[in-house]
Amino acid sequence: MARIIAVTGKGGTGKTATSALLIRHLAKGNKVILAVDADPDTNLPETLGCEVSKTIGDIKEFMHSERDNLPPDTNKESVLKSKLYEIIEEMPKYDLLVMGRPEGAGCYCYVNNLLRGIMDKLVDNYDILIIDAEAGLEHFSRRIFRKVDDLIVVTDGSRRGLGTAERIRELVDEMKTDVSNIYVIANKVTETNREMIANTAKELGLQLIGMIPVDEMVIQRDLAGEPLFNLPDDSAAVMEVERIAVKLGL
Amino acid sequence: MADEFPFEISPMFEGERIRKEGMHVELAGPKSKGFELVRAADMNDVEDGRFTLIGPDLSDMEEGSRYPFAMIYKIAGELVETDLESIVERRNHEFQNYIQGMMHLNQRDDVWIRVGKEAVSKGLNSFEHIAKAVMMLFKNELPFIEKVEAIYITDMSEIEKEIDNTRAVYKARDERTRGLHDEDVDTFYGCTLCASFAPTNVCVVTPDRISLCGAINWFDGRAAAKVDPEGPQFAIPKGELIDDASGEYSGVNEFAKKLSSGEYDRIKLHSFFEFPHTSCGCFEVVGFYIPEVDGIGWVDRDFAGTAPNGLQFSTMAGQTGGGKQVVGFLGIGVNYFRSPKFIQSDGGWNRVVWMPRMLKEKIFQDIPEDIRAKIATEDDAKDIESLKSFLTAKNHPILERWVEEEAEEEAEEEVPAKAQPATQRGFAAPQMMQMPANFMPSMPMMGGGSGGVRIILKNAKVTVEKITILKED
Repeated sequence: MARIIAVTGKGGTGKTATSALLIRHLAKGNKVILAVDADPDTNLPETLGCEVSKTIGDIKEFMHSERDNLPPDTNKESVLKSKLYEIIEEMPKYDLLVMGRPEGAGCYCYVNNLLRGIMDKLVDNYDILIIDAEAGLEHFSRRIFRKVDDLIVVTDGSRRGLGTAERIRELVDEMKTDVSNIYVIANKVTETNREMIANTAKELGLQLIGMIPVDEMVIQRDLAGEPLFNLPDDSAAVMEVERIAVKLGL
Repeated sequence: MADEFPFEISPMFEGERIRKEGMHVELAGPKSKGFELVRAADMNDVEDGRFTLIGPDLSDMEEGSRYPFAMIYKIAGELVETDLESIVERRNHEFQNYIQGMMHLNQRDDVWIRVGKEAVSKGLNSFEHIAKAVMMLFKNELPFIEKVEAIYITDMSEIEKEIDNTRAVYKARDERTRGLHDEDVDTFYGCTLCASFAPTNVCVVTPDRISLCGAINWFDGRAAAKVDPEGPQFAIPKGELIDDASGEYSGVNEFAKKLSSGEYDRIKLHSFFEFPHTSCGCFEVVGFYIPEVDGIGWVDRDFAGTAPNGLQFSTMAGQTGGGKQVVGFLGIGVNYFRSPKFIQSDGGWNRVVWMPRMLKEKIFQDIPEDIRAKIATEDDAKDIESLKSFLTAKNHPILERWVEEEAEEEAEEEVPAKAQPATQRGFAAPQMMQMPANFMPSMPMMGGGSGGVRIILKNAKVTVEKITILKED
C-alpha cells in the first residue's frame, strides 16, 4: 500500500518548494513515486521543471459536458480512468498528476464517486505519494484520497504561521480522513528566529521535524522562475530536506 | 489451464498501471489509432480458436515503441445474437487486464493498451498468447459463446480500412440502445449519492428517465449495481405496472417508501402534478407550473434571470430541493427533455410554455417540430402578461386548455354552491399578476385520486370579497 504524504500550509510559506525537494530526494531511490499538485494556487509542475497541460478539473468538466454525447451504454468509469491516465505526466523518475481548477456549477457527485474508485486503485500502483495540498485540504475532505500517513504543515517563522499549523490540526480532527501523523516544518528560518520558532512549536504541542534555512539559491531560482528540482546537493535547503526525509524514513 | 501462457491471469491484476518507464510497447491510445470489435457470426464462419495477425508481432516491436492496434473477435453459438456484441466486447477490457503485465484502457475506438517490459522478458513475445488467453476466458466465462476467433491488426493502413465500418457498427448499436424504453426492462436503478443533503430523495433512473443531476443513465446504474449491488446505485425491480401513462410501478412505490423513510409511498415517473418524482438538490432544470396560463415553464441552473413567474432558478430550487415531492415544481436532468415519455401524463411538450433561450437552443432538435416556435424564451416573455400574448399569437396548444377551463368556469358559475368565484381561479385573475417575488403558486384543483388539495401561501397578500366553502353532498 502506498504511503501518502501530504504537504500543506498557508500560501507563501514554501510548501511547494518543500514538496519539490522531497520528490527530488525520493527520485534518487527506486521507489515508484506519484507527485500530486492539489493546490490550484500553486505550481508544483513548474517547480519540478515539467509542463502539464491538463488537469483532473479539466477531465471532470469533459465528463460533465460530454456525458449526453457519449454512447448511452458507455462505461463512464472506464472513460474517466483512461482520461485520467492520459493526463498523468510521466517523468523519468516519477509521475505527476495535477488536480486543477475547482468544480463548476452543477452536480459532480457521480463523477467524484467514480474518481474516488479510480484513485483508490491508481494509488496502489505507487510506493509513495507526495501531495502538495492547499490549506483547506479539500481533496481529502472530498475523500479523493482516503487516508494520509503523514501530514506535513510548512510554516514560516511567525506565530501566525504556527497558528495555521494548529488550525490545520483541528481541521484534520473534523475530517473523516484518517491521518496518522502530523508534523511541522519551519521554512525560511534565520539565526534570529530559530530559537523562538522551536519554543512556539513546543508551546503549541506541534511536532517540529525540521527547520529549512533561508537559502540564497532558492531565492534566486524563485525570482528567475526556475525549477528547484535541479538545485545542487550542497544547497542549504536541499541538505535540510534530506535530513527531514531521513527522519521520515524516506 | 493458465500454465500454457507465459503470464499469470487473475482479476487481481486489473488495477495494474504500466508506466512509460516499465512499458515495452504502447498500442493504440490517444497518440495512435485502434479499436476493439466483437461481431456475432454464423457457426460456419467462425473457426474456433483461430488467431490471425495482420501486421508486425510483439517480437518485431522495439522497446518503447508505439503501434496502432485493432482487435476483432468473431463469436458464434446457438444463443449468440447481435445484441450481445457490446456486452461481450466490454469483457475484452476486463480479460486483457487480467493478464499480468497488460494494461487495457477505455473502449471501442478509444482503446489504449500497454504491454510491460517485465511481461515481455518473461516470454510474452506474441499477440497470439494474448488472443488465446482472451478467447479462453470468453468461452469459460460466457458459455453461450461456442466458437470464437480473433483477428488482431497492427498495420495502420489495414486499421484505417476497417475503422469506418467499425464506427458504423457502433453507431447502429447506439441507435438500438437509444430505442430502449421503460417497458423493455424489468429493473430500474436507484441512487443515493445525494442522500446526505436530500435525505428523503428517491432517485429512480429508468431508460426513459435520466437522474436529476443528469449524470446517471440507466446503463450507468446497471453497470454500477453489477459491480457493487450495495453501493450508491442499486437495482429496483420495477414490479407491476400500475399506470402506464404516468409511469407508476409497484416496485418503485415500495422503494419510495424505503428510501424516503416512509415520507413518500407513491412516485409517478412521468407525471408533473400527481405524485411527481422527488427533487434532490442537484437537478439541472426545475419545472414550474404557471397557473395563469395552465402551462409549465422550465428554468436551468445556468439561467441567472427571472422566469415569468418572477422567480429565479435558485429560489425555486431552494423551495423544491432537499428530496421533497412538491406538486407544482419538478427537478429534472436536461436529458429528460429527450425522453419520449417526458411528463406524458400531463400533456408532454404541449404543456411546455417557457424556457430560457440557451436551454431551448441546447435541446432544440429534441423539441417536437410543431411546438418549437411556440415555446417562449426570455426574449419573448418576461412576465405573465407578455407570455399570454405570445402564446395566443403563436396559437400554442395550451390555448385549448384555456377554452376548456373557461367553459368549466362558466358551468361552475351556474352552480354557485360548488364553485369559487371565477376570478379566484383561472389565469384571468388580475391579482395573481403582481405575484410577490417569493410567492409560491398554489395548485389548481387536482383530478380525483389525489386525496385533497394542499395550498401553501408564503408572504401572500390575498384580497377576497367573499368566499363560500360548502361540503359536497
